[in-house]
Amino acid sequence: MKWEVHEGEHGVVTLVLSLKMQVSISDEPETLYKRLSLLVKGHDKAVLDSYEYFAVLAAKELGISVEKVHKPPKKIERLTLLKSVHIYKKHRVQYEMRTHYMCLELKYLTSSTAAVYLEYVQRNLPEGVAMEVKKTKIEKIPEHIQEPVWDTLPQVEETEVKS
Amino acid sequence: MLFSHAPPRTEKMAVDQDWSSVYPTAAAFKPASVPLPIRMGYPVKRGVPPPKEGNLELIKIPNFLHLTPPAIKKHCAALKDFCTEWPSALDSDEKCEQHFPIEIETVDYVSAGTSIRNPKARVVTLRVKLSNLNLDDHAKKKLIKLVGDRYCKDTDMLTITTDRCPLRRQNYDYSIHLLTVLYHESWKTEMWESEKTEEDMEEYIWENSCSQKNALDTLLRIKASENVSNVTEEELLASEVVKNYRNSVIALKNEGETENNVSQYKESVKKLLNIQALP
Repeated sequence: MKWEVHEGEHGVVTLVLSLKMQVSISDEPETLYKRLSLLVKGHDKAVLDSYEYFAVLAAKELGISVEKVHKPPKKIERLTLLKSVHIYKKHRVQYEMRTHYMCLELKYLTSSTAAVYLEYVQRNLPEGVAMEVKKTKIEKIPEHIQEPVWDTLPQVEETEVKS
Repeated sequence: MLFSHAPPRTEKMAVDQDWSSVYPTAAAFKPASVPLPIRMGYPVKRGVPPPKEGNLELIKIPNFLHLTPPAIKKHCAALKDFCTEWPSALDSDEKCEQHFPIEIETVDYVSAGTSIRNPKARVVTLRVKLSNLNLDDHAKKKLIKLVGDRYCKDTDMLTITTDRCPLRRQNYDYSIHLLTVLYHESWKTEMWESEKTEEDMEEYIWENSCSQKNALDTLLRIKASENVSNVTEEELLASEVVKNYRNSVIALKNEGETENNVSQYKESVKKLLNIQALP
């Protein structure tokens, strides 16, 4: 954190407190994500289109390979309600809620890259848009499943088993 | 007192200005700060959509003025230091599978509402191919029987979905525990497993089946009627025709009836009973 001189427009000079984030490297092994699937839901298709452009460009700039971008068909939920507060059953009013979807599939991310990308993309999620992130983590087989344990256990006596 | 309104800021903006300093973060649409002649809304009769000054539609819709391509590139350049590279040795799905056979799937939910929690977020799905586990023949068959519907024969994939615990970490630990228990139980052989009948078998085994008994019976009777010296069962079993018949019956039972299998069966039966083809 330190004070820096910043030349703005029209010759305005300001003093700005700059916070340069520190990169820390830890020793624990990274978890690997084979696939990261982002499903974005919203009511407005134009907003989702702009968001798709933003997310794809951000992935390319950070060096993440984009597997595919596809748009599942929209779902429309319709309600039919009575138009009036009291009686008039024959006069109704109909509302509908349209949900548009956009699915972005990314491949081969480490946990730090995934954390950085997801935080950036989720902080810039527009108002009224929801997101579901499906992470597929890959792991080695744990040590206790490598060999069956019955070979290494000491022989248990018959009487103990019966009681 | 009348104050003359200052001209909007757009008139003083240069064409090559730094746009990311005008809209550094997400902000509402300010018509005096955006130098674009945008019109939005339902047009007046025989007219055009309303202009941007005092236009509520433009303020309501979320705008991406703070995320122009140069701004995104600047952000990503600053964030690039925190990213790590994917190991170059794992560039295909098969290699990932060979070194890291277990796949854990978790879902995160982001939405606006009164609460940021989503109860569906605690579900954990564990997927593993049985060919990667250290199982012998009996253990594999027992595991498939124990697991039932969760095993898919076509892809050889075991899928365990857990959501009985309230936290995701607990569900993950529980799914690993289930896998461990299944693995060790399938290596055990209980006393009652020796009572496995023919209906329980997963695949057809020819040895000690009715087909073998019938074939040997028929051949022995043929040899007896021809008054040949007593041929033993082992010799019959070792002969080519019987082996052919055995292979074709196994193929029919295990793989179902295909053109190939049925014609193979026909040929082997003809050779077994020494029937010549009808003219």
